[in-house]
Amino acid sequence: MEIWSDLLGGFATAATPVNLLWAFVGCAIGTAIGVLPGLGPAVTVAMLLPITAQVEPTASLIFFCGIYIGAMYGGSTTSILLNTPGETGTMVTALEGFRMARHGRAGAALATSAIGSFLAGMVATVLVALFAPAVAEWAVRLGPPEYFGLMLLAFVTVSAVLGRSRLRGLTALFIGLALGLVGIDQITGQVRYTGGIIELMDGFEVVLVAVGLFAVGECLYNALYEGRSVSEINRMGKVHMTRGEWRRSWPAWLRGTAIGFPFGTIPAGGSEIPTFLSYATERKLTRHAEEFGTRGAIEGVAGPEAANNAAVTATLVPLLTLGIPTSVTAAILLSALQNYGLNPGPQLFQTSEALVWALIASLFIGNVMLLVLNLPLVGLWVKLLKIPRAPLYAGILVFATVGVYGMRQSAFDLYLMLAIGLLGVLMRRFDFPVAPVIVGLILGPLAEAQLRNAIAIGQGSAWIFVERPMSLALLLVVAAVLVLPRVLAWRRRA
Amino acid sequence: MTASGPSRTAQILIGAGALLLAALLAWGAAGIPAQAGYAGIGPDFLPWVIAAALAVCGGWLVYEAASGGFRQLDAPSGAPRGDWVALAWVVAGLLANATLIERIGFVLACGACYTLAVHGLRSAQGRRWGGPGQVLLDAVTGLLLAAPVFWLFTRVLDVNLPGLTGTGWL
Repeated sequence: MEIWSDLLGGFATAATPVNLLWAFVGCAIGTAIGVLPGLGPAVTVAMLLPITAQVEPTASLIFFCGIYIGAMYGGSTTSILLNTPGETGTMVTALEGFRMARHGRAGAALATSAIGSFLAGMVATVLVALFAPAVAEWAVRLGPPEYFGLMLLAFVTVSAVLGRSRLRGLTALFIGLALGLVGIDQITGQVRYTGGIIELMDGFEVVLVAVGLFAVGECLYNALYEGRSVSEINRMGKVHMTRGEWRRSWPAWLRGTAIGFPFGTIPAGGSEIPTFLSYATERKLTRHAEEFGTRGAIEGVAGPEAANNAAVTATLVPLLTLGIPTSVTAAILLSALQNYGLNPGPQLFQTSEALVWALIASLFIGNVMLLVLNLPLVGLWVKLLKIPRAPLYAGILVFATVGVYGMRQSAFDLYLMLAIGLLGVLMRRFDFPVAPVIVGLILGPLAEAQLRNAIAIGQGSAWIFVERPMSLALLLVVAAVLVLPRVLAWRRRA
Repeated sequence: MTASGPSRTAQILIGAGALLLAALLAWGAAGIPAQAGYAGIGPDFLPWVIAAALAVCGGWLVYEAASGGFRQLDAPSGAPRGDWVALAWVVAGLLANATLIERIGFVLACGACYTLAVHGLRSAQGRRWGGPGQVLLDAVTGLLLAAPVFWLFTRVLDVNLPGLTGTGWL
């Protein structure tokens, strides 16, 4: 039982008072920003990245992961009470949860989402602890061609599967990849696309782009288009579920977890697909079909919430074992690890074993904290929804400045942040997904290095990608993801 | 294509923007030496690939826009027309911040940014100007927000942020 001893060691590290405090602060901040519209976990972690210069790696990763999962708990509260989803992953929750709240069952919706998130988070963490070491062991055998294939798969799924238009997703991806080109080439030291500007030699910081696109872009978009939009807050009820509601919730939680976890682990990114899938499943299986879309069905909240949390937790598997981020927040966590000179990948489990297990242990602890923060104390967070929008968004700009300026003390970055923010406004207005930009930016240089190493191994020949079975299989999957939907659509019409 | 969505012309411009970016990338790529060496492909390979891919995407976007508009377009949230004055205020706030931060320090620059931005956001909501009292109140709020952030990050977390004085308090 090697896992047991590793995990116990992890708990020993995670349960030191300092680390517990970091976990708690992370969970609290995460819940708060999850509740607040306009700020997501990715941008929050990005803004706080400068602390990596001072705080030791284990503590800061525990802190960041607390924010990540906390935001999912908090996001559902907003979805239920406000009908503006706090996070993309909680979009589906808004469908049924908001209707339930409309009909005076906000309390039950909040309860089922918090308990479902907790259950899914716990189960998913157990699965991470069981699977991650095995995946890491297997991944040691992967060479550059396979890594390149995996990264290609991550690119394609993030841009082509999520979002409504493959074309716009891919355009966003290539914009991200183009941003990733700027700076010094890792292999030859060649300078690319800096236009002679010294500040661009180090390339675009992921923090800068994330904060620009999400925080600044959101603020600008709000000033430009959302000024007159009104949102109404539903009345809170007592957070409580009847026996019947419990009976209807728990199978949905389990199914949601089962759907969510696998989606998080494969480089197919995001929690949008599993939450929609879980919603569709619940809708099909329910005996209360009449409640869906009318009064609000509790299964429609319980399932997707569980799926969301399971998927979010599961994204840690590809992140920690392969170094491949499948969500925006995971991409930023990757950049946090890079700040410490840690290279996520199979070696991480050997070189930084203590850190990985402390992180996993802290997920268990964090989920317990979040259940407490979000069930009895939910009323506290709801008060955040009363902050008027103008000061809220203006305040976000202050935090954006800290994150971006604090990264490398350059006022030039603040101008750049504004430019990226304006790009974000355009992308949002014309329905371009933003996640591919971030994933392309951070994964692009890594993928380029793997590509060139692979071809070097193949002695200058690209056939190496076809000659190795694993890499060939990955390329075929990539092609299938790109082509299949189109073929299916064409056959349906024919 | 929804009635409230962005106009066809704007969509064509977006596609053209992608094409322009592709052209810029290609122009830049032409200036990167190939230096392939043993790797088979050099530092100019990916730039060319991305330039080509973006050109295809841009061309396709223009084609979609010209032939009935972007496919599967979600109607954007919010008002059909932008409130450019409000945007200008927020942009002014951000520009002021970037220009001033190294001259008057983080706290004051952020206070100015907050004051300008909050004015813009409020005007977007159609509220009338609250007079100088309102501005003063906003400025104080901005400073009260920025100052603790400054202390937290510079004193507790050791992040370098510029101050007006060397005291670490302002």
